[in-house]
Amino acid sequence: MPFKTVFILPLLLAGLLACAPNSAPESETISIYSARHYDSDQMLYDAFTAKTRIEVRVREGKSAGLLETMKTEGEKSPADIIIAADAGSLWRFQQAGLLQPVRSDLLEATIPAVYREADGYWFGVSKRARIIAYDPTRIEPGLVKSYRAFTDASVQGEVCIRSSSNIYNLSLMAELIERWGAEEATRWAGATRAHFARPPSGGDTAQLESIAAGECAIALVNHYYWVRLATHASAEKREIAQKVALSFPSEGMRTHINVTGAGLAAHAPNPAGGRAFLEFLISPEGQALLITETKEYPILESVARPVGLEGFAPLPDPDISLSVYGRHQIQAQMIYDQVGWN
Amino acid sequence: MSGLKRIATSIRHVSRRDIPALMAGLIIGGPVMATVLIGLFAGGGDIWTHIFQTALMGYVLNTVALMIITGALVLIFAVPSAYLVTYYRFPGQSLFHWALILPLAAPGYVLAISYADFLGVSGPLQSGLRELTGLSAREYWFPDIRSLIGCSFVLACCLYPYAYLTLRVAFTSQSVSTLEAAKSLGLGASARFWRVILPSARPAIVAGTALALMEAVADYGAADYLGVQTLTVGVFRAWASYGDAAAGARLAILLVSLTLFLQWAERCQRGAASFDKSAKGWRKLTPIRLHGKQALGASFFCTGLLTLGFMIPMGHLIGLALEGSGASGSLLKAFWRSVSLAGLASLGAFALSLVIAFALQAGRTSGRFAQLGALMAYAIPGAVLALGALYVQRSFNLSGGPVIALGFLVLIYISRFTAAGLGPVQAALQRAPASLTQAARSLGASRWRRFRAVEWGVIWPGAAASMLILFVEMLKELPATLLLRPFDWDTLAVRAYAYASDERLAAAALPSLAITLAGLLPVILLSRQLSKNTFEEKT
Repeated sequence: MPFKTVFILPLLLAGLLACAPNSAPESETISIYSARHYDSDQMLYDAFTAKTRIEVRVREGKSAGLLETMKTEGEKSPADIIIAADAGSLWRFQQAGLLQPVRSDLLEATIPAVYREADGYWFGVSKRARIIAYDPTRIEPGLVKSYRAFTDASVQGEVCIRSSSNIYNLSLMAELIERWGAEEATRWAGATRAHFARPPSGGDTAQLESIAAGECAIALVNHYYWVRLATHASAEKREIAQKVALSFPSEGMRTHINVTGAGLAAHAPNPAGGRAFLEFLISPEGQALLITETKEYPILESVARPVGLEGFAPLPDPDISLSVYGRHQIQAQMIYDQVGWN
Repeated sequence: MSGLKRIATSIRHVSRRDIPALMAGLIIGGPVMATVLIGLFAGGGDIWTHIFQTALMGYVLNTVALMIITGALVLIFAVPSAYLVTYYRFPGQSLFHWALILPLAAPGYVLAISYADFLGVSGPLQSGLRELTGLSAREYWFPDIRSLIGCSFVLACCLYPYAYLTLRVAFTSQSVSTLEAAKSLGLGASARFWRVILPSARPAIVAGTALALMEAVADYGAADYLGVQTLTVGVFRAWASYGDAAAGARLAILLVSLTLFLQWAERCQRGAASFDKSAKGWRKLTPIRLHGKQALGASFFCTGLLTLGFMIPMGHLIGLALEGSGASGSLLKAFWRSVSLAGLASLGAFALSLVIAFALQAGRTSGRFAQLGALMAYAIPGAVLALGALYVQRSFNLSGGPVIALGFLVLIYISRFTAAGLGPVQAALQRAPASLTQAARSLGASRWRRFRAVEWGVIWPGAAASMLILFVEMLKELPATLLLRPFDWDTLAVRAYAYASDERLAAAALPSLAITLAGLLPVILLSRQLSKNTFEEKT
């Protein structure tokens, strides 16, 4: 009996596999490769389908993985749209020839030039700031007006931070390289490294928790991790946010801003559908759905901020091209490696 | 020189009968070869030089330290527990006998996520401690789970069942007459353990631990989450931060050499000795009943192990899932995707391990070759094999279509995990009496008929164990699935990872629990199968 079972099972399973994907959808479809993972994104896609009758298929992954997959698929790639959560990643897709320029009066008129690629290879659709989180009982607010706060002797043993291979830290370093030059940026990384309270680990939320618990006093985080804690269902989490103060650095350089962006795939089977999706992303409805759960800033100032972010001051627009995040990414990782920032 | 000569002789002796095992070796070893070739020929650019100069030493030291600490913990967990449940009776013994392998159902990264939160600075333990004492986090010492030792602990928790399983089988097949002889010579329980039981179980201890260590070396999820810079984490950094997958492949060659070293060490220690496979006059071992403090101690040890490896991490995840918004759409679909992928691939891998086991049994070099390929693939992170597969697809222009993508994914699953399924089949086959097959052969039965009518009946229990292990392993696979799956093929592991990487633990808890749940039934079946089979086949 088991003998037969063993050899019949593969056939059954193969049947199961074969009947699963409906490979030839009847209606118009776009395929999205997304590096975001939010349940609200599904609502966004559903809203797009409801509005345009274009079905959406999604493949989520890390941006490096999606890039590798697309390179392999080449001209046969089913992807129409690429969504990445970092301008540096978008630059990489562009460099690999996986994006194509889009000319759209609507996109160009709506999105400020600094938040989109000059030739239309990608468009920022929501924005965020990488800011300083600190313990107000231990750190003077005057100190944290600049990213140089991390190199100040007073924060010796007080810095909590995540791994340098994290894209947010890489993009920040890329901006420092662009502004200060590699030598100065290396000095910054080395001095910050010397002030670590513990080896880098965990995500941004973990750094906020460490400050609240008193393990360290100062950290670098994306603003929305704090907002998510501040609006969390659990009172304990909200308490963490209450114990941590935020500073949007403005001295020496503006606050480090990054975007979630999207672009049209180079070999998009449905470019018109893809374009419609890009335009949907900056409609009031699309904008709201993009940021409700993530707590990012909308790219359109006219769109209401998500809950928890209402009281925040408007972000200053960056005065450098966001493409530098991609251009300096390798050098950024090299500098971190060099100073031993894991 | 003699080694070369031996290889030359064995090549000359390749016959038609070597073809199946050679094919199996090629299927399994193909992705490894692709990785090695890419690493050797394309991995030597500036990025490699930079990694070599700044980070490589740290990666290697961390990996070796991780292996040593994880190995030691695996031994501390597995040897006493397997010994206790086999030789003694104490309260809960029959439960522990099978329940101690439950941690096998939970992937390392799930354990890491759970433990990092549980023991973390905002976790229930430390929060409680601060509330109780009024201290702040810097005013007391607390073991740091996000560290080399913490990561080793987490890995040992989910990998010790490998050693526990092989040891349980080895202890059960210990010759009772030898033990009785030792007893009559006046050796006490402790002397019998150190001087008779342990030495004769040495091959099993080393084999089981080596398997666990290979898995530990290839781990990415737990090490990355806990911030430990191992070689595998370095491979990912080379690829994701530096965009140089080939430099990553060159790092992966170091992982391959670590496995070869483990293999070599395992063979060296085994020397001429082999498993005590056919103790003549086998009788069922009569466990000794423990009383009082001893019984309490035994129960306490096993309860503690089960608590650390399973109850705490799973309990904490359940807590997280309950407090979360619970918005985990399409979990059921992901469940079926996971089960059907793992099911199909585990049958494929099982078929290959059968072919290899038969070739090994017949003493063929082709079998040894295929086995080595399988072991190397086992120590390479799934993502590296998957990148190799993407390169191959690209070079041969094989892209496009969900069927091809699925085919490659299944191939990588098979390549990566066949080694884990090989052991039980091999062990079962070794115990099969050669006389039966010879009788069948002398009666003129064809090869297929001999297999179906004679051998299958004998190796079936081992085969079942092999398939269950393969299934559970594949259910947990993450990095290759992430890279190679076609549209709409999110598995549970992919869902759990997506949430966890966005730092939303409550949402990640549900799919994490679902993976464990899906693996639980096979693991329980496996454990029962193994305890049954070690007794039955001897009587």
